[in-house]
Amino acid sequence: MNRLWRLLRRVRAFVVRDFRLALSYRLQFFFRILEVLLFVTTFFFISKIFAAGAVKEFTQWQNPLAAWITGLAVMSYFMTGFSSLANSIRQEQAQGTLEGVLMTPVSVQTFVLASSAYDFVQVTFTSSLYLFFGWLFFGVRFQGNYALALLFLMLTTLVLASIGILSASFAMVFKRGDPFGLLLGITSTLFSGVLFPPQLIRQYAGPGVASISRALPATYGLDGIRRVLLEGQTFGQVREPLLTLLVFLAVLMPFSLWVFARAVRRAKHEGSLIQY
Amino acid sequence: MIAPHDTQQPARPAPQTVTPAADARPAAAIRIARLAKTYPVPLARVKQFFRRKTDGPTEALRDVSFDVREGEVFGLIGPNGAGKTTLTKIVATLVQPSSGTVAVHGLDSVRDEERVRAQVGLASAEERTFYWRLTVVENLLFFARLHGLTDAAARTRINELLELFELTPLARKRFGTLSTGNKQRMTVARALLNRPPVLLLDEPTRSLDPLAAARMRALITQLAATEKVTVLLTSHNLPEIEELCARIAVISRGRIRAVDTPASLRATHKQTERVTLAVRGLTPAGVEQLLASAGEQLQVTAHGDAHVVTFTRVADDDRLDRAVRALQRAGAQILSCDVERATLLDVLETFEQEAAGATQAQGGRA
Repeated sequence: MNRLWRLLRRVRAFVVRDFRLALSYRLQFFFRILEVLLFVTTFFFISKIFAAGAVKEFTQWQNPLAAWITGLAVMSYFMTGFSSLANSIRQEQAQGTLEGVLMTPVSVQTFVLASSAYDFVQVTFTSSLYLFFGWLFFGVRFQGNYALALLFLMLTTLVLASIGILSASFAMVFKRGDPFGLLLGITSTLFSGVLFPPQLIRQYAGPGVASISRALPATYGLDGIRRVLLEGQTFGQVREPLLTLLVFLAVLMPFSLWVFARAVRRAKHEGSLIQY
Repeated sequence: MIAPHDTQQPARPAPQTVTPAADARPAAAIRIARLAKTYPVPLARVKQFFRRKTDGPTEALRDVSFDVREGEVFGLIGPNGAGKTTLTKIVATLVQPSSGTVAVHGLDSVRDEERVRAQVGLASAEERTFYWRLTVVENLLFFARLHGLTDAAARTRINELLELFELTPLARKRFGTLSTGNKQRMTVARALLNRPPVLLLDEPTRSLDPLAAARMRALITQLAATEKVTVLLTSHNLPEIEELCARIAVISRGRIRAVDTPASLRATHKQTERVTLAVRGLTPAGVEQLLASAGEQLQVTAHGDAHVVTFTRVADDDRLDRAVRALQRAGAQILSCDVERATLLDVLETFEQEAAGATQAQGGRA
């Protein structure tokens, strides 16, 4: 309990630090809000092209605007889980602040977790904005069990954070952004159904290419959240994507933590932990 | 004098080889035992696969052993690339040793690294370790929280430190707007946030003005004397090292060449000293005749209506005393007397030459 309390206090320290840093760029904060509003507005007008209605088969896409803003909101959350950990290490290494942080009694693991915490706070805010603007200005209505949607969100974020930890391990050893991670991010955006139903890939590119979708955790996360929020499906109906995400998590999380511990050891052995 | 584990050393008065395991003194604040660090070639196998040329592993430290006692200000001197920074970073747990151990108050720097970091404050000369867009207080508050201080305790401590380092008027200024000297004060202030019993200071006065540097030196002395803080001080400022440090380790090419008090190091490495007397009331010939047996390399030069007499003597022998008596008996007025002793620079140069010689000899044998 004491350890958890100490961890939370440290996480708070990082969140406060990053909030203060964000405050020093006030305009950027307002531009981000404006950007989300413009995105939602743009997608609202694009959705009007499909005013005649989507193909019945794509049940989640009957209201394309709702599907898009859910996709964008959730995907930005997933991408944060995926990229924030590596970015935080790279940023601290590049700024030279890693030495100062690592001279405090904070483990590298705690540091990585805590220094990405603000990104999650921030993305929670911007993701909520997508949904809020859709609801407030464009009549998008959500239904279903919000707690279940949140469970999907957390599970998928954790799975992607596991991949993010692998990416952070890469950044720690090789001192550069993870190119495989970047590829995975782009692939997820294309194949996970952020902007269009993944079933279309099967129709146009065949089952081989479509199988890429099934290998991506984000596909299950997005599918589950849309099924809950847009179709009102229950726990029993979304059991399959939920179990798939749990399997992803059970495999990826221990593996990524093991790789990360090795990467930290290697960087310390090479004396390159705080090097840019 | 302690000259640990250097079999290449030429004969020197009573070098005492120390193996820390056999050292029966009470637990030291920092105990370094047979420490070695060789930086491997990063991604060596990948580079080999692509047949890229590499320089091979870099040996930064070899068989380094010494203790720093509690409440001691201990200096580490050596030329650039000697291994000072690597040694400091190993003590600070930022780099892992290849072999050997570092214990801080009995805690192993590898196995107990988090607890060691709670004991150690590092003030490096690197000012980029702060967040430049945050204010002085915001920076210190962040690091204090990471040390586990509550907000109230952190603010009290920060106020104390701002006062101590004369940074209070700058508390709300962004770190990036501070002068280099004030940034340096911040690194030391941050190192003291959690009142660590061990301080690692790297060039703590490098960018300070002379007055601020003097105050910093006084503070370091005070911390060691009154709060029993152990200080491992790395600096190229040899007079400062000499002023502050009870003992000094000379490091060269990754090896500790000697550990001793500044006075002993000087005496060991240069046993002669140059004496300069300003004398009035005698002719140059008279002075030369009187002091013919005073010491070697006697020189007499006119300087206005006085004469400057210089000679070399063995440190602390009676030749100066005899020379002064002889001059006074002859009715000369002694205007001033200076004794130029060996400096730490001489010591450093000697060790570096020896190390270079040893390396060449090894190369020749190979």
